Amino acid sequence: MADGRLNAVEGLAPHANRLRTLLVRLVANRSIALGGGLVAIITLLAVFAPLVAPYDPLESNFRARLLPPSAEHWFGTDHFGRDVLSRVIYGGRLSLEIGFLVVLATGIFGTLIGGCAGYFRALDNPVMRLMDAWMAFPAILLAIAVSATLGASVTNVVIALSLATTPHTARIVRASVLVVREMEYVEAARALGARDMRILFVHVLLNSIAPLIVRLTYVFAIAILAEAVLSYIGVGPPPPAPSFGNIIANGRDFMVEAPWVTIFPGVAIFVVVLGLNLLGDGLRDVLDPRMRVER
Amino acid sequence: MLSFVLRRLLSSIPVLILVSLMTFALIWLVPGDPASVFLDASATPEQIENLRRQLGLDQPIWSQMLSWYERVLSGDLGQSILLRRSVADAILERLPITLSLAALALFFAVLFGILLGSLAAVNHQRWGDQSIMAIALLGLSIPDFWLGLVLIVVFAVQLGWLPSGGYVPITEDFVGWARSMALPAFTLTVTQIGFIARMTRSAMLDVLRQDYVRTADAKGLSHSFVVLRHALPNALVPILTVTGVIAGGLLGGAVVVEQVFFLPGLGRLIIGAILSRDFPVIQGGLLMLAVIYLVINLIVDLLYALIDPRVRYG
Amino acid sequence: MNARILQLALVGGLAASGLAVTANAQQGGDVVIAQTQAPPSLDAHVTSAQAARNVNLHIYETLFARDENAVPVPDLAESLEISEDGLTYVFQLREGVNFHDGTVMDAEDVVASLERYREIGASSTLLSAIDSIEATGDHEVTVTLSEVQSTFLDNLSSPRAPIAIYTAEQAALGANEVDYIGTGPFRFVEYQPDSFVRLERFDDYSVNPNYSERDGLAGAKEVSIDSVTFLFMPEAGSRVAALESGEAHVVETVDGPSAGRLAENDAYTVHNVLPFAFQVIKFNHAQAPTNDPEFRRAVMAALDMEEIMAISRPDIYQIDGGWLFPNSPFYNDAALDQYNVADLDAAREHLANSSYDGETLTFIVDNGRPNVDTATVVQQRLAQIGVDVELSVADWPTVSQIGFTPDGWHFWAHGFGIEPFEGPASVIAPWVDGVSMQADDPEINRLYQELTTAMDPDDRAAIFAEFQQHMYDDAVAIKAGNYGLFQVSADELENFVPYRIPRMWGVQLNQ
Repeated sequence: MADGRLNAVEGLAPHANRLRTLLVRLVANRSIALGGGLVAIITLLAVFAPLVAPYDPLESNFRARLLPPSAEHWFGTDHFGRDVLSRVIYGGRLSLEIGFLVVLATGIFGTLIGGCAGYFRALDNPVMRLMDAWMAFPAILLAIAVSATLGASVTNVVIALSLATTPHTARIVRASVLVVREMEYVEAARALGARDMRILFVHVLLNSIAPLIVRLTYVFAIAILAEAVLSYIGVGPPPPAPSFGNIIANGRDFMVEAPWVTIFPGVAIFVVVLGLNLLGDGLRDVLDPRMRVER
Repeated sequence: MLSFVLRRLLSSIPVLILVSLMTFALIWLVPGDPASVFLDASATPEQIENLRRQLGLDQPIWSQMLSWYERVLSGDLGQSILLRRSVADAILERLPITLSLAALALFFAVLFGILLGSLAAVNHQRWGDQSIMAIALLGLSIPDFWLGLVLIVVFAVQLGWLPSGGYVPITEDFVGWARSMALPAFTLTVTQIGFIARMTRSAMLDVLRQDYVRTADAKGLSHSFVVLRHALPNALVPILTVTGVIAGGLLGGAVVVEQVFFLPGLGRLIIGAILSRDFPVIQGGLLMLAVIYLVINLIVDLLYALIDPRVRYG
Repeated sequence: MNARILQLALVGGLAASGLAVTANAQQGGDVVIAQTQAPPSLDAHVTSAQAARNVNLHIYETLFARDENAVPVPDLAESLEISEDGLTYVFQLREGVNFHDGTVMDAEDVVASLERYREIGASSTLLSAIDSIEATGDHEVTVTLSEVQSTFLDNLSSPRAPIAIYTAEQAALGANEVDYIGTGPFRFVEYQPDSFVRLERFDDYSVNPNYSERDGLAGAKEVSIDSVTFLFMPEAGSRVAALESGEAHVVETVDGPSAGRLAENDAYTVHNVLPFAFQVIKFNHAQAPTNDPEFRRAVMAALDMEEIMAISRPDIYQIDGGWLFPNSPFYNDAALDQYNVADLDAAREHLANSSYDGETLTFIVDNGRPNVDTATVVQQRLAQIGVDVELSVADWPTVSQIGFTPDGWHFWAHGFGIEPFEGPASVIAPWVDGVSMQADDPEINRLYQELTTAMDPDDRAAIFAEFQQHMYDDAVAIKAGNYGLFQVSADELENFVPYRIPRMWGVQLNQ
């Protein structure tokens, strides 16, 4: 797939054999297995939260505030007297949802922008200068500014983070489109009279999807980390629904006396992000061995 | 070379113009204004309006924009609404703190990153390699602000070894400065070390597979000599690339870490300005960050030339 | 032998400290105060933020100031004569009062400062009753009111955005443009916004000879420390760490568990500053269904104030529904049977009679934890009676802009601190002309008018009781309770007594 010397016929034909070997390599990769496993566990916990969580994550009982971890409350309770374990399990829902939506938005806009810039020479320079300007803001400041501006809501957090992760993604898509565009099968398709849009979508983008998938895995990780930072600054998803980030933000006033409220969701973030990073590394090794660690 | 620098500088002008336009768009969208920060919850709208007039905030956005560009062209970033001083002064005062934090973290991240990455490469596919890479990955996956909070609780609150935050200027007291920077710099380093270690490892592996390294090995030269003399210099270009990338990322990280350890750096200045709607400071601060980002990229490109003679500035 | 030396040293130490107390020889030292926020400005006239007050009331003084019981007493004024008709106030100023720039205060300075405040003061309505201000002598200022105002001295001495006396020269400058020159016991040295403010003892300070000791924000302000530094530390944990590492001597507020831990340590004194403020939940009367008293009564009946206070203001709160602090002379128990009923059935009954129709309501709140927590508890509680509330959290500038418009919100929670400290008129004022609830309430307007013109304290007490009754009968807004602050001082700092601000006169630092 990432082989630059594909000929036109191979590029257009479905290649079942290659797909099978690819799958085998994906499954055999240890990073993917471990990372995918971690992500899958957290995702399953989040999806089946109502079955798994021992308590209602919103049910407060101020007479049981800030209880340390015990058999009853494995992760202790927060200052509402809510069960931290249940909140972390449910928090995964919102954090993963945000991560997923950011991946979706970044994938769509990054591909559109990067694809167009890479394919249409006239667009390349102006669009990429715009991306440069965009990237010259530290992404997190951009997200803080946008989220503070629009108000704290899940939608706005997703918008803010997508804005922050799109330019780099566009750049990666553009780079691989530039390579693919010059390949023989694209030339061939063009010679056969295919229209630009069709060529762009069917041939060029499909063939530059490997680096995009790798990048989006990292974007997922970045989004989960950044959601927590936004919550910490006070512009994350609003209560009462828990997210990893807003559980930490809620606990930080009690950090000294009740560190468990802050520590456990932090560990949860760490595990998900570690899983995603492992998954990204594995995917990169299998899909696109020449790609650098740049993310 | 000189013409390359000049051309790069020229091409950064449109980027800066775009940055400033985007900032204006942001300001135009923001609800709330600085006047409300001066007042408590029972201030009436008339009082807020009165103060707005006093602070000169009742101008329409386009006229603010025009006068801003006019001033910037003459090198003046304007006056802060809240800080009662020029934006340039405020930025210049904070800049060294942010830059020294980022530079410290960059220095240690590069130092230990290259060290760990090389060790991993030399021990390729042995347990040393794998445990180093595992550590690098752990560092990449830790939320930076969370690590900072945990470090504060452990080292400042529980053990009392280091201050929980605040800043001592290096000119005043070197030990105090080092103590105030220790936890922030460590936090930032840990989260960045992994990038460099991973890059170093893969670049070194590439080089170690090259013929001339094998030849040198075959000649019976000590392996560590070969690694230091031949392999590392040749691996520097990709390492430098990733250093350039993280230098930009470090600025963002520094912003967050400053917040956790309340270091009065540029990041805190800008976040404070965003939250208090101090528009001239937001403008100037973001513009300044963009300039730093562009300068870092320029330096990285120039360093390529020094390290890798194959790069030509056509 | 070792033991003997130790004993000697102990005796010596005791003698020295005994001497120090009697001779008041503990001079000098830099006291560091860790407070939550940075002041938006050190121009006292233009800001009513608590963070600014803490600093500014060390630099500046006012004609009248509040004493220990919040009663207005002369500070820069020597005496005051009020005419029979209550319209003319003749202030004699203290003579020989030095400004930090070396000039001596006279009537011109006072006139210029009052005029500046009327023009640009953050709470300029405090002086809205003034018709004219004249210098009628070198040290005499005559203020004429356009109508009788029983609260005029309360207003003049308000610490909210203090009506500070500047030099005439500074008073001619615009908002936020002045040099920080006052007559206070400390003079301004350095301000690093969002980091610290540093003040030094003003050696030529003119101590008020009419008092013998510290008294609220007035009294004799004797300073024995060299300087005071206000550090701005938003993180609760960091403030505690600063105290325990010896970086800070006073922490403006710490969390309950830390306060409990520090109280067991001999090196610190924990001061319970309670009550410090109200926790208030406001309704938007310009929107349905919060314009419907029945709906508001449903909310009021539903809420469990203990729950709100225990979570949002843990460990330091009072369950009290009075619209003044309990120690206030006008405190009364009108309508308090309607406070904290926490009866969901009663709430459902009110709700059934109300215009609420299942729509989602918006609770705006700034991103400070206590206010967000209050909103969260209210939201959870109302969900139990079938009212759907959505939180809209933003930063203070955004929230305060939305909250003073008739659209975009139904509930708004925040603290009310300085108003109950100032007294009854200040508590009513925010509700006059519908400012805080976005729809006029003629009853409140009438009561305010009566209160500010009634000169007899008994009449005023009765009027205020009527106001409180009305707040409950119509559920105009909800008071959840009083909250306080745990202030902590290190024991090197002697004679520290908390007040609205952490006063640094009358304290000594043992080094």
